[in-house]
Amino acid sequence: MASALDHVAWEACLLDPRRDRVLESYARRKMGMPVPSIRYFTSVPWLARALIDLHPEYGLLMHLDQHTADVLTLVVSQENSCRFCYAAQRALLWAQGMSEARIQRVEQNLSRADLVPRTVAAIAFGRSQSRVGPAGAQEALQALRRAGFSDDEMKEIAFTVATTDFLNRAFSIPAIPSRPLEQMPEQMHMRLLRPLINRVLQRHRFRGRATPLERLPSYPYVRLVKAYAGSPIAPALGQTIEEMWASSHLTRRCKLLMLAVVARGLGCQVCAFEVSEALQREGLHEPTLTQVLTHLDAPDLDVLERLLVRFARDTIWFEPAALQRRTRGLRDYLSGPQLLEAIGVASLANGLCRLGAMVMGHS
Amino acid sequence: MTWTVVTAAVLVIIAILGGALYRQRRLNQNLRSQLEAAAANLEKLQQACSRLAPAGVVQRLIADDVQPGTGPKAERKVATALFVDLVGFTAMSERLEPAVLARVLDGYYQRMSDAIDEHRGQVGSFVGDGIVAYFGATQPNPWQCDDAVRAALAMRAAIDEYNGELDREGLPRLSIGIGIDRGPGLAGLMGSRDRKEYAFIGRSVNIAARVQALTRIHQVDILVTETVRDDLDPGFVLVPMPAEPIKGLTKPVMTYAVRRRSTGREPAVG
Repeated sequence: MASALDHVAWEACLLDPRRDRVLESYARRKMGMPVPSIRYFTSVPWLARALIDLHPEYGLLMHLDQHTADVLTLVVSQENSCRFCYAAQRALLWAQGMSEARIQRVEQNLSRADLVPRTVAAIAFGRSQSRVGPAGAQEALQALRRAGFSDDEMKEIAFTVATTDFLNRAFSIPAIPSRPLEQMPEQMHMRLLRPLINRVLQRHRFRGRATPLERLPSYPYVRLVKAYAGSPIAPALGQTIEEMWASSHLTRRCKLLMLAVVARGLGCQVCAFEVSEALQREGLHEPTLTQVLTHLDAPDLDVLERLLVRFARDTIWFEPAALQRRTRGLRDYLSGPQLLEAIGVASLANGLCRLGAMVMGHS
Repeated sequence: MTWTVVTAAVLVIIAILGGALYRQRRLNQNLRSQLEAAAANLEKLQQACSRLAPAGVVQRLIADDVQPGTGPKAERKVATALFVDLVGFTAMSERLEPAVLARVLDGYYQRMSDAIDEHRGQVGSFVGDGIVAYFGATQPNPWQCDDAVRAALAMRAAIDEYNGELDREGLPRLSIGIGIDRGPGLAGLMGSRDRKEYAFIGRSVNIAARVQALTRIHQVDILVTETVRDDLDPGFVLVPMPAEPIKGLTKPVMTYAVRRRSTGREPAVG
């Protein structure tokens, strides 16, 4: 099935798949079917779980209609040139019964002016957030409001876009193979199984229900999690952030430095403030932080930190193949789990920072 | 008798419907192959365009569904302009055969463009044997001065390596002059109704070009202005040069020659 991203260069995968029955069955339970790509992420369990738990298709959206969420995922994946996520979204639409011709029409319609104003505004928002980031946040929000979206819908749009930005990076940076998904509609056994897959998907793609927020993460982005209080997004987000801090492949200071660099690169003052406070609590002096943020380097940084602040910066605006080649170079300095955790932290930082500028700015 | 007529009529109707269905399917197949051919042509066009403008700019124009004769609005931005030029090109161009000269120049353009791309810059245009590049013009980049100077150092290394190749072929060596300045300007698609290009227009572009010319006077290859120096990582080793007047500015301009990056602590990645 020819896709709009077939021309996007994609390197060989940087990671070796590794089986983990617990995580694989967790993914299967949540999504209703085996998720082979999860094997690439099992050495960093928080990231593997985040890829499942933060996926907007499975029980996180209470207000935004599923069609707008599907279109947003497609648009943002296209903007970020993520072949994997784009193929996954296309495969999802195909499994739901859409013909190839109809999927192509949906793709073509994404750039047409005869769509309803709400869809146009949502698409423009997705593009602006992926392309400009927080700098264009307020203008994009105003456009959503004018198109008639409620505050709750706007928050869910922001979440869908930000989480797709996160997923796109998590799959793009290590070059997770997209061919199996791209070829799915051409395989006879998948065609025969399509009605069954559709039924399973329908059972697992459900609307979110109001969920109390029982625990707040102990590090930055607490305000962001609080902004979603009452929505199932809040506990999912809180747990991911908490597990990310708890994971020990990289130090907290290193993770915070990566978050700070992404916040600086995206020009998000809200995130930068929260992260710099946390860094000072970790014992990093302000002049060092200033030097890191101004020049991506400081004498106090260790080799790993020096490499990863630069890597974090590379994940803000990127072309997949170029970033994949740069990331491959890191394998000489980092262990497999360290590299994967770095990919996860940078990806999450990009999502959180875009979300933070939107939601904390507007709530 | 009646049944025979009815059966015959039904068969005729089925045959007509079958024929219509067959024709429709062939028509659909035909249309689909036309659509695929159009998509392939569009793809080729996009690839051709990417050789004429920065890939990011082409993507953006396609995503924005820009129509001929229009363009995305230009935006005010602060960007860093880098101007690189070949020293002694005129003399060399008189000595070499046109085909050899073109090949030498292609090698030079390619290496300079790679160094710019590698450090997140965009090649704006080729001006004779000169190249104008921008850092931070298409996307926000708070590290644009560091990037521009890193690109300049990468260009120096690339020219050294290229000179090795030229030596082996018995061709004349190349040397470059680079000027870098930072300042506000207008970034976007600009030009006439029939011909537009993505450009960054501002005083810093002119200053970068003129500072580049000062490399001949100071006998160095990379010069940055005071504005760039103020934003630069202290790890870069700079040597102040005497102030020189440049066209368009009332006061003489202080420039700094870039020697190298001192720390050497960075592992080489990518």
